[in-house]
Amino acid sequence: MTPNETRGSLAGTLLILGRLALAAIFLFAAYAKLKPQAAVPWSGSSIKTSLSLFAMQVDSYQLLPPQLVSPAAHFLPPFELFLGLWLLSGVLLRYASLITTLLLGAFFAVMVRTYMAGLEINCGCFGPGERLGPLTLLRDGSLLALALVVTIGAFLQGRKSRELSAPTAVTTPQRAD
Amino acid sequence: MIFRTNQGFSPRVASRASWAAAILTAFAILAPAITAQTATPASAKTAAPAHKRAADTAAPGAPVKTIGNRNAPITMEVFSDYQCPSCGNFFENTLRPMIQDYVANGKVYLVHHDFPLQMHTYSGQAARWANAAGMIGQFQDVDAALFDNQAKWPVDGDIEKYVAGALSPANFKRVQGILKGCTAAPPTSKADRTAPQADPGCPVDPYIVQDIVLGYQVPVQATPTFIIHYKGQSYPASSGIITWPILKQFFDTLLSQ
Repeated sequence: MTPNETRGSLAGTLLILGRLALAAIFLFAAYAKLKPQAAVPWSGSSIKTSLSLFAMQVDSYQLLPPQLVSPAAHFLPPFELFLGLWLLSGVLLRYASLITTLLLGAFFAVMVRTYMAGLEINCGCFGPGERLGPLTLLRDGSLLALALVVTIGAFLQGRKSRELSAPTAVTTPQRAD
Repeated sequence: MIFRTNQGFSPRVASRASWAAAILTAFAILAPAITAQTATPASAKTAAPAHKRAADTAAPGAPVKTIGNRNAPITMEVFSDYQCPSCGNFFENTLRPMIQDYVANGKVYLVHHDFPLQMHTYSGQAARWANAAGMIGQFQDVDAALFDNQAKWPVDGDIEKYVAGALSPANFKRVQGILKGCTAAPPTSKADRTAPQADPGCPVDPYIVQDIVLGYQVPVQATPTFIIHYKGQSYPASSGIITWPILKQFFDTLLSQ
């Protein structure tokens, strides 16, 4: 194996690790929001209660009108679950990581805006009880950077794969006459 | 193109990208653990509401700072500071409609806890007035008057004027009488979570201190912070301004279980 191949292989391995890390984080984020928030067993009712509690966290950001808060709160955790599973599968990674980056970018922008506005609220990132502060901003900023690196890596790898699988064009010089 | 050559990843860039990805991956994996210490505190899931734990040690004549029916299915405990703008907003736009609707209809029992912040000059004194009013069963009117006039009394600290406006002359004299021994600075919460000092001559100060210590246990990190209890279960503390329609939706979800 040449040094180039070794480095390429290392980059590929790290791309997989980055993808799996993002998948785990999204799956954990969805689990933390959907799990029973009190000492009750999992049930449809407990999930409904957890989503209503998450709606309060979304509302505390004072970004959405009340009529949009509930739909957003009921959409986000299942979408995070879907995105986590998608990243885990590795299928169409370029699109999965791009959507992940856009979502994390949106989360990060909202968090920075809220923090700069001086609102002292819970982050709601991994369920209730975690205050929005510099540490949560640092964490989410790092996740955004990771998602960006994975997205760039996925696009580069996709391009490389297409080039390797494309048939080599053999051109025969045409005679002028 | 910076990130690739005809061979795929350029060796230098691939190496740098590898290290960057490795560092970010490690941080991303460790991040939830790093911030786990700020996650839901165990105390927020205790079965007994804080006001019931406090009632066990409360002496006779303790101020009643509750609104509604004690047997209501939902209990909501609010840690608040009378001078905090978010608390004023939360009271006017969320708690007031809640009191008129779900508290009045016996669905919610509202428990007020004082958590005066050190940064607010007059919030401790305002808490004293509210507690004194609570000792004669007039908490609700004074509580509302303090929040209604939140923009006025912090200007010069003349809280008395607004308390007088909320009570009958006789009740106001009783409240004044309760507070006549309060000469030292009122207790306030501390950033370093040390126990606040009560004025030995002030009969309401121990109750304010008790609330602050309860707040430390939650832990209250910002005001307003509230905890909701239903069917013996406590839900994690929330802070910030939650609008009434969203809070109502949460109550309805609980009540439909």
